[in-house]
Amino acid sequence: MSLPDRIDPRPPRRIYRWDLDKTYLQTEFDSLRDLVRTAFQKAHEKVAVPGASALIRELSEQGDSRLCIVSGSPKQMRAVLEEKLKLDGVKWDEFVLKDNVGNLLRGRFRALRGQVGYKLPAILESRVHAPVEAEEVLFGDDAEADAFIYSLFADLIAGRVDERVLSQVLEAGGVYPDDQARVREAWKKIPVSDPVRRIFIHLDRLTPPAQFSAYGPRVVPIFNYFQAALVLLADGHLTAPQVLKIAVEMVQTAGHNIITLSNSFQDLLRRGLPLQQAAIALSQALEGPNKLLAAMRPMPDILAAFSKRLAALGTPPPPPPVQAVDYVKLIHHALPRTHKGRGKPSEE
Amino acid sequence: MEAMVGTQPQPVTIAFDVMGTDHGPAEVVRGAAMLSLESPHIHTLLVGDRTLIDEALAEVKHNGERISVQHAADFVGMDEKPGEALARKPNASVAVAARLVAEGEAQALVSAGNTGAGVLACARHFQLIPGVRRAALATVYPTRSVRGAKEDPFSLILDVGATVEANAEDLVTFAVMGSAYARIISKNDRPKVALLSNGVEPQKGPPRVVEAHARLSEMHDINFIGNVEGIDIPKGTADVIVTDGFVGNVCLKMLEGVHETVVELAQYAYKESLRWRAGLAMLSSGIQRIKDITDWNQYGGAPILGFDKIFIKAHGRSKSRAIANAGKVAAKVVANNLTTAIREGLKK
Repeated sequence: MSLPDRIDPRPPRRIYRWDLDKTYLQTEFDSLRDLVRTAFQKAHEKVAVPGASALIRELSEQGDSRLCIVSGSPKQMRAVLEEKLKLDGVKWDEFVLKDNVGNLLRGRFRALRGQVGYKLPAILESRVHAPVEAEEVLFGDDAEADAFIYSLFADLIAGRVDERVLSQVLEAGGVYPDDQARVREAWKKIPVSDPVRRIFIHLDRLTPPAQFSAYGPRVVPIFNYFQAALVLLADGHLTAPQVLKIAVEMVQTAGHNIITLSNSFQDLLRRGLPLQQAAIALSQALEGPNKLLAAMRPMPDILAAFSKRLAALGTPPPPPPVQAVDYVKLIHHALPRTHKGRGKPSEE
Repeated sequence: MEAMVGTQPQPVTIAFDVMGTDHGPAEVVRGAAMLSLESPHIHTLLVGDRTLIDEALAEVKHNGERISVQHAADFVGMDEKPGEALARKPNASVAVAARLVAEGEAQALVSAGNTGAGVLACARHFQLIPGVRRAALATVYPTRSVRGAKEDPFSLILDVGATVEANAEDLVTFAVMGSAYARIISKNDRPKVALLSNGVEPQKGPPRVVEAHARLSEMHDINFIGNVEGIDIPKGTADVIVTDGFVGNVCLKMLEGVHETVVELAQYAYKESLRWRAGLAMLSSGIQRIKDITDWNQYGGAPILGFDKIFIKAHGRSKSRAIANAGKVAAKVVANNLTTAIREGLKK
């Protein structure tokens, strides 16, 4: 783990944990060619997912939060990744990268692609130092095992997962004994609390959202960061003007428009997210003599489109019942994509 | 008629009547999901039972930024009488979808449901193009010949049921509309247009056909090749075949009956005789190629022409690929401004 990039004397009220590749950055590493190209990209050649940097900047505006990045990129890319984040105006508190060379030299080949044995101890060790009351929001993607790992992290520190289940998961996930020990050690140091409010999964691969329903309503698959901003507005992490700023950046820089934004809004409503109040807050934010907001055309049109999308749905169905996450059953979600078991449910 | 349409930069929204198809709403939803992945400029508005749509959508890969939903509680079944059903169910999905298109929420309507209900819903919500007295339902038929830049094996036949009694003026209008449509969809600059009659001579046929022949012969913007007989339909002598709804419908049903009988005979032969089975096996690659070329799933759907808005009728047995392609056809027709082309064609 690297030293913090900035030292903030105030204890954080909120912690935002981000993955980088396919969550913050538009990264292609599905083929060897993609991997090589990504490895040699310069900072200015790397492209952030539309709205991601704006969201991070707006979240940090509150002043009492920490940004903790845990990425599967190798440590050798630290300089270029840090430069990219600085170019985007992103300030971080923790930035953990994977020691792939170390894994290779030690013959730990499973660790090269394994996610559970890398991310889970990393975020648990980070949580050890956090105030017990600090809320967490985590951002990952559907390319690897983020939904599984983040949910497991949340349920471990909330005391909803016991030692037996953890052992089964770590074994099935192919986690090396020393990493298993790190997980247990960090876990024991964390006071029991329930700080994880949301887990956003950026649908880089457009995985069907139903595939995440097993993780419960805390996990919110998102097609874009406007959707995350809407949910965070409803959750009280952002204000309506901040959400508008994120939307405007997406309209101006990433080709989003009235249709894509209003469809994104409706998509969340259809999945049962309670966003009606957020829509009202956005509408109110556009009223009044604020010159910045007045310049944000076509936001009023977008809000009108939101109203139509909302009205189009009729009476919403009741939300699905919240059930405990069965991590042993879902372990196949956490295996590397080339693993034989990936994509197949485990035997009952 | 060529279906695979190149990407158009201008965004277009296509309303899909999700309900009342042979394969159920999930198949239409899958088609729309496919479209959202393949054609970034096409947005889909799914009209139907919101719960069924959401359930189906959550299970398939899709881009939520490009899909919205309009709840419609009712639908018209395949075996229902269109007039009675729409009177009983004013909020049937096809009626709601047509209304949304009329209101500008979408630019075209695609339905694989009850054809009569679709035509009636359009008649109630859309306006006839100035100069058009009666609308025409078109269909496509695989032929021996290919046409246009895309070597399209399908010819267009209209009307096949919307206007049972058409006069000479209607037939001329149908010719203009069919020609405009074929120019756009088949990329065929000068589609060959013919009247269906009982002989190729100009004086053959009932008075309305003779009169239409005389008037079309004087229209130099239409590549009118005269009369064709029923035998010329599968030969592909003409690219656009014009007739009234009564004859067209009888003709279409007969062609479908012949096709089904040939398939049944082949199946019978396959079962009954080893020699025939061997023969069919040897021909299988050729039969498959013919099937691929003439597969209506690749075409997607056929239009109802004459209204100021676009309606593409997909086959009731359409699977997701056919639905997606029907959406592409609709988007192409919108992008190429068919209504204007017809309006201008009628002025000449």
